[in-house]
Amino acid sequence: MRTMGKALGAVLMLAGLVLPAAAQDRLVIAGRDAGFAPALAKMVELYQAKNPNVKIERLELGGGPLYERLAVGAREKTAATDVAMLDDIWAPEFMARGWLTDLDTVGGLPGEFVKSAIDVSKHNGKLYAAPFVGNIAMFAYRKDLLAKHGFERPKTWSDVVKAAQTIQSKEEGVSGLVFRGIKGNPIVTSFLPVLWAHGGDVVSADGKAVLDSPAAEKALTQFLSFKALAPKGVETYNATELRDAIQQGRAAIAVEMWSSWAGTLDGSASKVAGQVEVVASPGEVKGPAPMLGAWLLGIPADSPNKARAADFIRFVTSPENQKLIALETGNPPTLAALFNDKDLVAKYRWYPAQLEALNVAQARPRISQWARVETILGDYLQLALIGQMQPKQALTEANAQIARALSR
Amino acid sequence: MTASRRLLPWLLLTPALLIFAGLTLYPLGRTLALSLFATDYGFENAKFVGLENFRELWDSRFFRQAVTNTVLFTVVSTVLEVAAGLGLALLLDRAFPGRTLIMTLLLAPFVLSTMVVTAIWRAWFHFDLGFLNNLLRTVGLPGVPWLFDPNLALWSIVLVDVWQTAPFAFLIIFAGLRLIPQDVYEAARVDGAGPWRRFRDMTLPLLAPYLFVAALLRSVDSFKLFDKVYAMTGGGPGQATETVSMFVYRQGFRFFDIGLASAAAVVMIAVAGLLAIVYAASLLKGAGR
Repeated sequence: MRTMGKALGAVLMLAGLVLPAAAQDRLVIAGRDAGFAPALAKMVELYQAKNPNVKIERLELGGGPLYERLAVGAREKTAATDVAMLDDIWAPEFMARGWLTDLDTVGGLPGEFVKSAIDVSKHNGKLYAAPFVGNIAMFAYRKDLLAKHGFERPKTWSDVVKAAQTIQSKEEGVSGLVFRGIKGNPIVTSFLPVLWAHGGDVVSADGKAVLDSPAAEKALTQFLSFKALAPKGVETYNATELRDAIQQGRAAIAVEMWSSWAGTLDGSASKVAGQVEVVASPGEVKGPAPMLGAWLLGIPADSPNKARAADFIRFVTSPENQKLIALETGNPPTLAALFNDKDLVAKYRWYPAQLEALNVAQARPRISQWARVETILGDYLQLALIGQMQPKQALTEANAQIARALSR
Repeated sequence: MTASRRLLPWLLLTPALLIFAGLTLYPLGRTLALSLFATDYGFENAKFVGLENFRELWDSRFFRQAVTNTVLFTVVSTVLEVAAGLGLALLLDRAFPGRTLIMTLLLAPFVLSTMVVTAIWRAWFHFDLGFLNNLLRTVGLPGVPWLFDPNLALWSIVLVDVWQTAPFAFLIIFAGLRLIPQDVYEAARVDGAGPWRRFRDMTLPLLAPYLFVAALLRSVDSFKLFDKVYAMTGGGPGQATETVSMFVYRQGFRFFDIGLASAAAVVMIAVAGLLAIVYAASLLKGAGR
């Protein structure tokens, strides 16, 4: 009995000595679900194979829950996440509040990234995140239908309306266009390229609310005219419904086509394979203003495993792995050279056009209150879309609310 | 009575009281306190603003709409669920072939997770491809804009809630129905009471406590409505399905405007508390205490 007790004591002592040391070489990776998940899953699988002693935990979360986990974790200093996947619109808040690690303090980040994507990863000249997915809001149209009715690639949103009206009136069962009308982030991201093309904006460069402008009113009036050209129920459309409408041939134009969605356009589930052209968004009084929607990888400032996290991020953003991710999961790369890689262009014919769009991409306002501003704008846009508010009233009230949010 | 005997009940109650204080009173008190501050998290860097957060709520058209929607949803869904539960209980109170199978099928929606239920109904509600509109079109009727008509969306969510949780009301009422002695009905029959009279004067009064419990539990649950709205409409179209829970969630976890979220939560607690007092008073009155 005494011998057994000693043996048990020795085991416990060893466990106490060995386990904590072993447990330190670990990584908790908090990333997105849906189409982004396979990319991180693949990288974890490969990294694990090369580093079998690292204990890796990967979390798949929706956009909202991911933001909550990261923001609450940063405020509470829970040290619960080592690698955080961040929407570029969250980055200003995370960087300004000191919630992320300066990557140059943990070995830096090699690679020639697309400029617009690296710009949103910096704050006060310091690099706090690595561009991971080079997502950008593109524009998609059925080249067969447009050509059939005598239209070329629309250069302006007014051209889009004309083409959509003609096709809708002449093609049975085909809506002229489709967009995401559900309130919140989707309707805002549908609207912003139109707003920017009209020369309007939500927040000025000096951080003031500027949505109550004549340009914004023109943009919103035009945006609301899209509804009559869209499938019934577009007010509830999100990504799935938009993709279905295009792939099933029920809509001729997609006002927005995120590059991470476009991977399935030529797939076996698509009834219009090879017929959808994906290009940069049209302009109007200004040139095209495609919206950047990059996803970044950062290391929370309270992570206990920064060196390991930095190593993982360098692994994921290496040219060979960025290419692998794009080929296998359709998530676009962030390294500029890959958009002209022959294997990638063979699979995704729009990649050169996407690089052009990325080079002129416009990021959403770099303010830490963007989540709130976007929600306010989304609420009022939808009230206008369902006819419960006139465009001018919606913009005036939204602008007042946004000004209030910015003053906090 | 010795001092130790007097102390014994308190001693036995202490663990429960401590848990109640830790899990209920402390969060309530903290929420109430935070509602008086402008803060983006806790009390650190918080600024005392008195009743300013409540004034902001009062001024907010979105909050007023959320309160209206929540109250409407609670009242209508509770009435419909208890009525449906009562109807089903009366139907299934008599023996007939296949009764067990029907009861099992009836209970199925209640055991499904809300996320599964909302996924099913979101597909059924689809304007072009949904099962419901296809059904209507096969009989020559036009499709219904279930989720995108601002005048209809809230009632569509009521329909989903009734489908999922009426079986819960049914279970409570059915249990009560089975406990009513049959000789009461036999005596009534002997006295010449018809089916309607027996239902109105005997079944309903004897079932009243069960109907009350079903209504209490369903209304409290309905008042917290969040998940169905979050998954089906996100509060839209416009503000047509926004609820107080959604408002609190958004202010608290999306914007980290903890003061305003706490103020909204206090309003919610006050309304729910009022509801509970009405129910409790009625229950105690019914019990003759």
